[in-house]
Amino acid sequence: MLLEVDHVAKRYRKRDGGEVPAVRDVSFTLESGRILAFLGPNGAGKTTTIKMIAGLVRMDGGDVRIEGRSIRGSGRVAIGRLGAVLEGSRNLYWRLTPLENIEYFAGIRGVPRARARERGMRLLRLCGLEGKAGETVQHLSRGMQQLVAICSALVHEPRILLLDEPTLGLDLDAADRIQAQVARLAREEGVGIVLTTHQMDVAEHLSDEVVLLREGAVVLHGLTQEVTRRLGGDSYRFELEREPGQEQLARLTVRGALFDSPRSFRLLLREPRDFYAVLRDIEPIGVLGAGRDTADLATVFRHYVGNGADGEVQP
Amino acid sequence: MIWTALQAELRRELTQMLRYPTELLSEALVTGIIFYGIFLGSSYMAGGSILGSRLSEIIVGYALWTLMLGAIGNMGWGISMEAQNGTLEQVCVGPLSLRAIFALRSLANLLYDLLLTAMALLLIIVLTGHRIDFSPLEIVPFILGIAVSIGIGYLVASVTVLVKRSNQFLNLLQFLLLFLVMTPFTDLKGPLRFIAVIVPAGPQMGVLRHLAIGQSRFPGEAMWLLLAVVNALLWTFAGYVAYGRVHELARSRGSLGHY
Repeated sequence: MLLEVDHVAKRYRKRDGGEVPAVRDVSFTLESGRILAFLGPNGAGKTTTIKMIAGLVRMDGGDVRIEGRSIRGSGRVAIGRLGAVLEGSRNLYWRLTPLENIEYFAGIRGVPRARARERGMRLLRLCGLEGKAGETVQHLSRGMQQLVAICSALVHEPRILLLDEPTLGLDLDAADRIQAQVARLAREEGVGIVLTTHQMDVAEHLSDEVVLLREGAVVLHGLTQEVTRRLGGDSYRFELEREPGQEQLARLTVRGALFDSPRSFRLLLREPRDFYAVLRDIEPIGVLGAGRDTADLATVFRHYVGNGADGEVQP
Repeated sequence: MIWTALQAELRRELTQMLRYPTELLSEALVTGIIFYGIFLGSSYMAGGSILGSRLSEIIVGYALWTLMLGAIGNMGWGISMEAQNGTLEQVCVGPLSLRAIFALRSLANLLYDLLLTAMALLLIIVLTGHRIDFSPLEIVPFILGIAVSIGIGYLVASVTVLVKRSNQFLNLLQFLLLFLVMTPFTDLKGPLRFIAVIVPAGPQMGVLRHLAIGQSRFPGEAMWLLLAVVNALLWTFAGYVAYGRVHELARSRGSLGHY
């Protein structure tokens, strides 16, 4: 097994001496060439888990094994098999060019310069950035910087790549290029990828499996297709005559309704008779259409997470 | 692995220095002007004639002070800059520990600082026609003094990792360091001599002072050299251990990359 996350847990100490659990109990495994979408609302423990896997945050309980090696014991060797692009972090030296950044990160990970240069140029070519190899990173667009960060994280040929919100704040074109590279890495090079994102379409498009976190614990784990298919039978779409008012909107939000437009929403029903409860929720608005629908990851997310689990847990 | 990483650090430093030559030139200029000022100042103080041996002592002391400051600043200031820029965590994800990477980074910085200082000094010597006496023996306490600064650098880095902002602390530290480097602690008598043994770079500066004024033989020479080694080991070890502890604390708090 490439990556085993085994009942990891983390509590942060608060200033008043109390403790707040950031990750209660998270377990999953990842095989070569697979992409795992690691989802959850803000404060669910995604970034803390990613950082525990990368050895940046010390876990209080559980273990992480990379190719069978625990990061607790021979930690450094195991972590050397990882690459990571962390969220909200620039990840790069802005005064250096993309190729210089790649060479530097390769060097501190033990890759000789000639090999780093060769691999770096190849990675930049694959990302369509060969023409930018000599420009300083500060002059590149945000999307290009993110691609360079991914190249830098890959230059030592890691077996696992951790990507924390890789397409956050990027324009459509840049996000597409990153998604294409992520898919290529997994399918062609066999890299195992753990991807956190709030963009459900990105997760659905890329992932083979999905792990959904809520309040630091796994609430759903399965193959992406299976999860959406399994819940597909319970997914319903409603088309309304007019926009719902505040009260109706509040009731629908509690049920995890996901609006496609102001007058159309989807939701997962726990039981068939809930269908009539939804009709009562939207009363007296007229219903133009209502029926079964195929579930997507966003609907699944809403179903499990709802809207009340947005409590930030920060160290 | 270590050699490849050191090469990477040396290349990174050199590339960044050469990319902005005005910064490099101004740094070289300031170093040159300060050395020139020391030469002129000492001539003036001596009423026209250069203070041969005393000047050597001042120059060696000043050179060591600037190199030590560089090493300490690079650790403390460098770590906070990395955290601020978002590269600190990225550097940590790899087979080498941050502690090892910062040691290599210090070494790379020191080599360039040493080169810059030596060039500035050489230029001033050529321009003024003055000469300073530098015994090859001085290299030993000089290197031991720099080892102390790496230890203090780790301590400053520890403070930086904990409180995240150490610029004011670093400003204060440079004066404290100047005091430590310029004060002849080894001339203290009786039990007070113990101070010379434990203050950072105390014995190193004592030995350097004797060597710089042309005394290749002085009372207690072997003992002071031994104490210089002990002092260097003590401070380097203390810094290394303290940083290791603080790094683990930051990992535990999840605050390593925070700024």
